[in-house]
Amino acid sequence: MNLTERLDGGRLTLAIEGRLDTTTAPQLEEALKRPRNGVTRLTLDFAGVTYVSSAGLRVILLAQKQMKNGGGMTVRNVNETVMDVFEVTGLAKILTFD
Amino acid sequence: MISVKHLSKAFGETTVLKDVNVEIKKGEVISIIGPSGTGKSTLLRCLNLLETPSGGEIVIDGINLLDKKSNVFKLRQKMGMVFQSFNLFSHLMVIENIMLGPVDLLRMGRREAFEAAMHLLAMVGLSEKAYAYPDELSGGQKQRVAIARTLAMRPEIVLFDEPTSALDPTMVSEVLAVVRKLAERGMTMMIVTHEMKFARDVSTRALFMDEGIIYEEGPPKQMFEKPKRDKTRAFIQKIKLFGFEIRSRNFDLYRLNAGIENFGHKQMLSPKQINHIQLVIEELVMNALLAKQGDVVAIAISVGYAEENGTIELALTYGGAPYDPVADDGGDDDLSGRIVRNLVKTRTCTFEAGKNHLRLTL
Ligand SMILES: Nc1ncnc2c1ncn2[C@@H]1O[C@H](COP(=O)(O)OP(=O)(O)OP(=O)(O)O)[C@@H](O)[C@H]1O
Ligand SMILES: [Mg+2]
Repeated sequence: MNLTERLDGGRLTLAIEGRLDTTTAPQLEEALKRPRNGVTRLTLDFAGVTYVSSAGLRVILLAQKQMKNGGGMTVRNVNETVMDVFEVTGLAKILTFD
Repeated sequence: MISVKHLSKAFGETTVLKDVNVEIKKGEVISIIGPSGTGKSTLLRCLNLLETPSGGEIVIDGINLLDKKSNVFKLRQKMGMVFQSFNLFSHLMVIENIMLGPVDLLRMGRREAFEAAMHLLAMVGLSEKAYAYPDELSGGQKQRVAIARTLAMRPEIVLFDEPTSALDPTMVSEVLAVVRKLAERGMTMMIVTHEMKFARDVSTRALFMDEGIIYEEGPPKQMFEKPKRDKTRAFIQKIKLFGFEIRSRNFDLYRLNAGIENFGHKQMLSPKQINHIQLVIEELVMNALLAKQGDVVAIAISVGYAEENGTIELALTYGGAPYDPVADDGGDDDLSGRIVRNLVKTRTCTFEAGKNHLRLTL
């Protein structure tokens, strides 16, 4: 998995590329936990994500919780296979897509 | 067209081919399968004399290739060969690679050779790459150029030695599509391949090699579904299943996933199907089974594909107390369980002799 960060005002965009599974989810979790000043909103860009397992979902939920007090979190560019996983687990209803 | 009689080949003390007998008729597409090291490549290399056979006969259109008086050059030209590695000349453009043989060896005029080459490039879907250099092409494109180059020599039969095994899985199908097209046009071919589904669909006859002989042969349907002899059956069984054993909590998930992906490509499963298999296995192993294993971790996984009805069959065997992880409904927070239950169509879970046997279909 590859992570690319972009900071734009108070918005942090994390572009994820590859597989978000048991092996790689901790890497995303670590990036999310890194202290950052002035970040109020988070966007997870899933354009390059080909696979998500529950280990990845847990980290996404964690990020969502972490951003609750700020401007929130949005998810974008989710492909169909990954969206299926969001749907059966109920995440599709909880997350905000743009 | 070609008849091989009592062909043998030894390298020093090791006899690789003992007594190979095979008749190849015009228009046949013969797939050659068998375990590694059983002489499949050696057989092809003997056929077009890249290796000198130790004994026997290769008769082409009535002339024995091994007879000293035969015009070997002319006979060999009837046979084209495509290898695992493409062997294109990197300093020559694609079109020049294809024209080289016809101009130098067949003494064809440049204009005629050029037109024939362009025609072949169109056939393999690479007209626009005529003036590219091999380094600018993907593996699949290089192999298609290599096929065009072989065809440019106007062979009567083409021998393929694992034409896709050096390729990235995503490029296998473009090459197989070209071979399929040739089959439809009636080209006589012999193909050593590990792509079993392809071999089954395209070939008119399958040969299984072992013990230095053609151990069994028959129509592909029979060979792949109901082989008659034990060794053939064991081989087919093995390639139809992907197996993986987990012996530690720190097992290599990458290797497991790569194995599933590889198996999926061979069975021509869609990316989505491959994704689903990986997902179910990852969820079950990481979030259910490993937690219930004691000091000794022992989980065996096998994946199969039943072509008749298009179902994917997973079998997981593991020790510990009787435990059916799919039955367990962990409620709303159980993301993992939801993923699995959504993808699993049928399941049985039995406990026998201290082991759980979980069988799932997707
Ligand atoms: N030039 C050579 N010199 C010595 N031994 C050789 C030579 N070529 C092949 N062999 C041996 O002959 C046996 C058969 O090799 P061959 O490459 O024909 O097998 P194969 O069926 O094509 O296997 P694979 O599926 O791995 O390609 C092997 O044991 C190999 O080591
Ligand atoms: Mg070989």
